[in-house]
Amino acid sequence: MQVDAEKCVGCGRCIPFCPVDARSLGRLPGNGRVTLIIDSDRCVECGVCLRSGICPTDAMFQETLEMPRLIRAILSDPLIEFKATGVPGRGTEEIKTNEITGRIRFGYAGVGIEMGRPGVSTSWEDVQKVTRAVAKLGVGFCEGNPVTHFMADRTTGDLMPDVVKEKSLSAIIEFDVPLEKLAEVLRVLREIAPQLDTVYTLEVSCKVHPDGSLPVLPIIEQAGYTVLPNSKNNLGMGRPRFREPGEEDVA
Amino acid sequence: MTHSLHRRGSRESLEKDFVVLSCSAKGFNDDVFGEKGKEFLRICLRHNPVNFGDMKTGNFLYIDPEEIIARVSNTTILEVTYDDKQDVVELIRELKEADLGVSVVISGLHDVVEDIVRQAGLKRIHTREFSLGSHGRLELLPEYEVLEFTTMCGHAMVASGLVKHLIAECKLGRRSLRDAAVVMGRCCSCGNFNVNRAQDLLARNLGLWVADWPVY
Repeated sequence: MQVDAEKCVGCGRCIPFCPVDARSLGRLPGNGRVTLIIDSDRCVECGVCLRSGICPTDAMFQETLEMPRLIRAILSDPLIEFKATGVPGRGTEEIKTNEITGRIRFGYAGVGIEMGRPGVSTSWEDVQKVTRAVAKLGVGFCEGNPVTHFMADRTTGDLMPDVVKEKSLSAIIEFDVPLEKLAEVLRVLREIAPQLDTVYTLEVSCKVHPDGSLPVLPIIEQAGYTVLPNSKNNLGMGRPRFREPGEEDVA
Repeated sequence: MTHSLHRRGSRESLEKDFVVLSCSAKGFNDDVFGEKGKEFLRICLRHNPVNFGDMKTGNFLYIDPEEIIARVSNTTILEVTYDDKQDVVELIRELKEADLGVSVVISGLHDVVEDIVRQAGLKRIHTREFSLGSHGRLELLPEYEVLEFTTMCGHAMVASGLVKHLIAECKLGRRSLRDAAVVMGRCCSCGNFNVNRAQDLLARNLGLWVADWPVY
């Protein structure tokens, strides 16, 4: 995001809208007029300031972004479509369409590590610390996910070198693991947390068994994590349905 | 992506907070989703949503609802927010009857969603995703009372600084609580920011805050 210093009147109304505090007021060299200063290193190109329509003089404008800086917009601006998935946003369909895709099956757990969330932002150096740590466990990173797309080596979790220098409002690392491997994943994530210069928010998913049980819960509890009281729930209404042997429809 | 999952708040507050979404499944129904998605939204609108939007278009706090519906494409995510459990029960009942064949997801309190599913006549939930909370440098997070607002937009489009700024404006009498909630909701283009809940949170928290930062 850029500001046209000639148009900016230095009112500062846009400052609170920035999720990463990349804005401040300063003086122009020469005439000393007060204007908005955007810290381009902090700015993650989310575009919320522009969309807010708060600027009374239309002084903000979005310049054309090239790679690798474009990655900031792909991972920070929800209205930008990631071409590899054709869907706007930062991750995959994960459980949202699981009754159709059959991505997460009985005996497996889906894991999502949302780096920089909520609202802190993340460097991709930190993203790589986590991808490398979980790659050692032999996890298969999800296709169609931007972080996976920008990996140089999926077996090591190494990201493309020019991407590592970037940052974004969040970045989701996604993979599915057999249930017997989930505890190890949770242990590794707990160990790496103190090495990060950001936060991550963690999610784990599974299919609900016919008796209503959720096999990930005892594993999560034993690993010392607490689940929040709210969850995201696929109701099984989509078609064509993916059915495992003997599986009945729920909707 | 799980932008409706990690909402923070008390049980009392989250009991009035539901996000219902639908999206296409790539390679399965993304050739026919557009028309079904439009019908999904039309049905949703009959059950008193407090917000709704299309991730590719924006939300109804700043775009005409008919325009949002008209622009639904084959590959998008539609999100509708409610603050009343019984409205969601009736919605799911009607969606079941309509049998659109599109995926439907509800985010909300575990037990409340289970009760909605049961009352709507479904056997059980198909797949569930749990939030295990935030980890790492938690000192970088804003106050919990601010997170209650900001986590209603999973894409973090509602800045913690904006929440504080609007609280200050309400305290100074420059804005109504409703207006402040709508300003926040406009930032969350997907439409899953619960403006009614935000208004309740403002009313609850206003007296607790001291405006010790610059108000522009």
